[in-house]
Amino acid sequence: MSVSLELNNVTKIFSKDSEKFCAVDNINLSVEKGELVTFLGPSGCGKTTTLRMIAGFENPTSGSILISGKDMTNVPVNERAIGFVFQNYALFPHMTIFNNVGYGLKARGEKDADIREKILKALSLVDLNGDENRYPNQLSGGEQQRVALARVIVMEPSLLLMDEPLSNLDAKLRIYMRTEIRRIQQALGITCLYVTHDQSEALTVSDRIVVMSRGKVEQIGTALEIYSNPLSTFVADFIGQANIIPAVVDTALSDNKGNIVCLLPGEKSVKARYYGKNSLKKGDNLFLVVRPENITVEKVGKDLLTGVVKNCIFVGSHVEYDLLFGEKYIVKASIDFKPDLKLYKKNEKVSFSFDENTTLFLDK
Amino acid sequence: MQSCILSKKQEHQFLYRKDPVLFCTLIIIWTCFAVFIFYPLIRLLYAAFFSDGHISIENIKKNFINVYTLKSLINSLLLATAVSICGTFLGYIFALAVNRTKLNPILKSGIGAITILPLISPPFTSSISLTLALGPNGTLLKLLGIPNANIYGFVGTWISETLTYFPVAFMVISAILNTMSASLDDAASSLGAKRGRIFRTITLPLSVPAIGNSILLLFGSSLADFATPLILGGHKFPVLPTQAYLQITGMFDLNGGSSLSFLLIIPALLVFFFQQVLIGDKNYVTVTGKSGAKSKFVPLPKTLQIICVCVASIIILFVLYLYFIILAGSFVKVWGIDNSLTLRNYAYVFANGKKAVSDTLKIAIVSTLLGSVLAVVIGYIIGRKNFPAKGFLDFSALLNYALPGTVVGIAYIAAFNNKPILLTGTMTILVAAYVFRYYATGIRSVIASLQQIDPALEEASLSLGANPVHTFTHITIPLIIPAVLTGMRYLFIHCMTAISATIFLVSARWTLLTTRILESMTELQFPQASAFSIVLIILVFAADALIGLGMKVYTKQFSGNVQKENKK
Repeated sequence: MSVSLELNNVTKIFSKDSEKFCAVDNINLSVEKGELVTFLGPSGCGKTTTLRMIAGFENPTSGSILISGKDMTNVPVNERAIGFVFQNYALFPHMTIFNNVGYGLKARGEKDADIREKILKALSLVDLNGDENRYPNQLSGGEQQRVALARVIVMEPSLLLMDEPLSNLDAKLRIYMRTEIRRIQQALGITCLYVTHDQSEALTVSDRIVVMSRGKVEQIGTALEIYSNPLSTFVADFIGQANIIPAVVDTALSDNKGNIVCLLPGEKSVKARYYGKNSLKKGDNLFLVVRPENITVEKVGKDLLTGVVKNCIFVGSHVEYDLLFGEKYIVKASIDFKPDLKLYKKNEKVSFSFDENTTLFLDK
Repeated sequence: MQSCILSKKQEHQFLYRKDPVLFCTLIIIWTCFAVFIFYPLIRLLYAAFFSDGHISIENIKKNFINVYTLKSLINSLLLATAVSICGTFLGYIFALAVNRTKLNPILKSGIGAITILPLISPPFTSSISLTLALGPNGTLLKLLGIPNANIYGFVGTWISETLTYFPVAFMVISAILNTMSASLDDAASSLGAKRGRIFRTITLPLSVPAIGNSILLLFGSSLADFATPLILGGHKFPVLPTQAYLQITGMFDLNGGSSLSFLLIIPALLVFFFQQVLIGDKNYVTVTGKSGAKSKFVPLPKTLQIICVCVASIIILFVLYLYFIILAGSFVKVWGIDNSLTLRNYAYVFANGKKAVSDTLKIAIVSTLLGSVLAVVIGYIIGRKNFPAKGFLDFSALLNYALPGTVVGIAYIAAFNNKPILLTGTMTILVAAYVFRYYATGIRSVIASLQQIDPALEEASLSLGANPVHTFTHITIPLIIPAVLTGMRYLFIHCMTAISATIFLVSARWTLLTTRILESMTELQFPQASAFSIVLIILVFAADALIGLGMKVYTKQFSGNVQKENKK
């Protein structure tokens, strides 16, 4: 497959007066044709700035941007042949839907007959036939969103960039629209970069996810890779829920699975995997990372970790526990519903254990 | 970090390569500014301090330190202070009457409409009608049985300017009273405050910035006003603008006139500066659209309401009376002596004033068109672009507007009376004087309107492959049309009614309605002056209504849609 987009050491520093702020710090990424890649991270992590640099709204302070193999670092926006979907849609309020969708084609100087045909085709792709003569403010949020999408795909861009396209919709519509976007993207085979701060959106739409924090890339991988093997505590915490407990290395086992044994607060030892690069020795500090659904809670037993139930919520499909562990750590556990489920009461002492295969140690 | 600084410098150096359109535009704008703003000012300062090519202490002593100049300066400042305080007080009362009393809404909008009258009337309107009402043989004086009062001097000027400028105060203060959050009133009443306390502790303190701004605006306007003191001030009450005018037209003393206008520049620039500081601190009220149930302002205490409504009614009756007088005055033979009705004044206007009407319209239309184009371009680059010396461009653009018209007029004759740029007597000099003064409102409203338009719209256009120029003409311009029309409206009204700069620049080739009014006044032909004024008022109203209609038609499309959406 051919490479559709390449970012090489892209850095963006904003300077206002004498203050400097590094919004994007040395990012490298390569996206293949037809792929949908999400930039995921909390607000201020530099994901939108990265997208705007790819679009050409901002110039990188250093580094280069290649689209379809051509260096586009200093090419103006209107010559890049990209499509950009804005957070607030940015539909032209003084034009009908028809003219909004046809705007780019007209600016490109295409024939009127072709333009008409293409507009109608694009509108039917987003399921908006018959709305051509309405104005943007006569449409609902979801409909405006689809017009914004139609306006971009009608141009057949080499790259589709979407900046939090669903954040202005209500929850139900958001879930519907994200599958719509995925459907249209795959139907057209268009390369797409998608910015969001919503992890469930990122997990459901993307081929690959780029997790960002403070201008840096934390991890790049498929949804499954990122969920099952987070490379940092930030990623573990940001994608899904995770319990993060400090641990001290006791013994590094050599069983080819990379397992090591660590001591947790309270001197209990736990065995789990470690994928880090450092060679560990006794006494090193690490974090134990375990997801709530990978914890089992049972009656107090020997050689097991113990905690005190501080909160117990039965949600239907599962039970959520807050367990006080080692004086000051709260461990969240989520136990699936089964017919013989036993509920532990508040302040009851329980034992809990981790699934070895899904528990990780990460560098501090 | 080092590379970052470097790249920023490069950006500046290569502006012409990065954005050649912007670069060329800037060059054109700076050239215009150099010729029509800086060069005249420099010539003015030169004329004020130099004679025969060197600074002469003698000259400065003669021009600055003499009894007459000092008296004019003190009079000017005194008048400006009195007008700004009284006008702001009246404006505040009107604003309270409209925004914080239980008046009939139709009556309220009526008050709003009437207060606009003095703003768009020609400069002599209130002076003429005050003369007719309170001057020698004045109707109101006869009615009141005071035979020989004399309003010429400080009192007349003061009354006339206060009536002319209080609507400015009303608009500034009303806007603030209107945008205050009513929930503050709710909070105060829920904490047990009564109406009087709410007014004292909430409304009044929050309107202090508006009061300050209004005082500054009125001070500047009164300082610059030329028409009123010329008619009503007389010899007893010389002020700087009239004095400068007399020096130049009466004694042909350009140096003396320039010195007087230099004295006028300093307070004018101080006012401009303080205003920028005041507005700079202002927090813009953002429309969130999530207002929910809008609560109402708590009305004033009863007695205060009654006082406000009474004062407002009296003033409004007086203003209407003055307009009636000028209308009546245009239909009589000799005001106060032979009050028989006649149409001969209008016959005279149509016989002798045709050229003045057509010249005025021609110049106003040309100035409005040119001024709007400039306002859009300058407003756009200030509102949307980044380039070196942007702040200075902003300041320079508004410089002529900040200066009194008299100063601009004298500066223009100082600059364009001789070679290399000989423009005296041409239409160009009038158009240039108007454009670079009155496009200021246009620039401001374009910038304000751009602030409300999401830059994403322009980015969307660019990302769809449209180049920057296409984006500007197809997206930006249509969206700022209402702001442009607002600017055009002000430009046109000001061009039609301008006098202070005009008076120095007119010639036999180009006569204007305002100068014809002045001529009639100085010949004591009040009925003629009234007839000219009525014609001018009608023209201004017609043009204003036309632009207003255009604005409504243009915005109807959007607002109609919004209504439909709300119904949905």
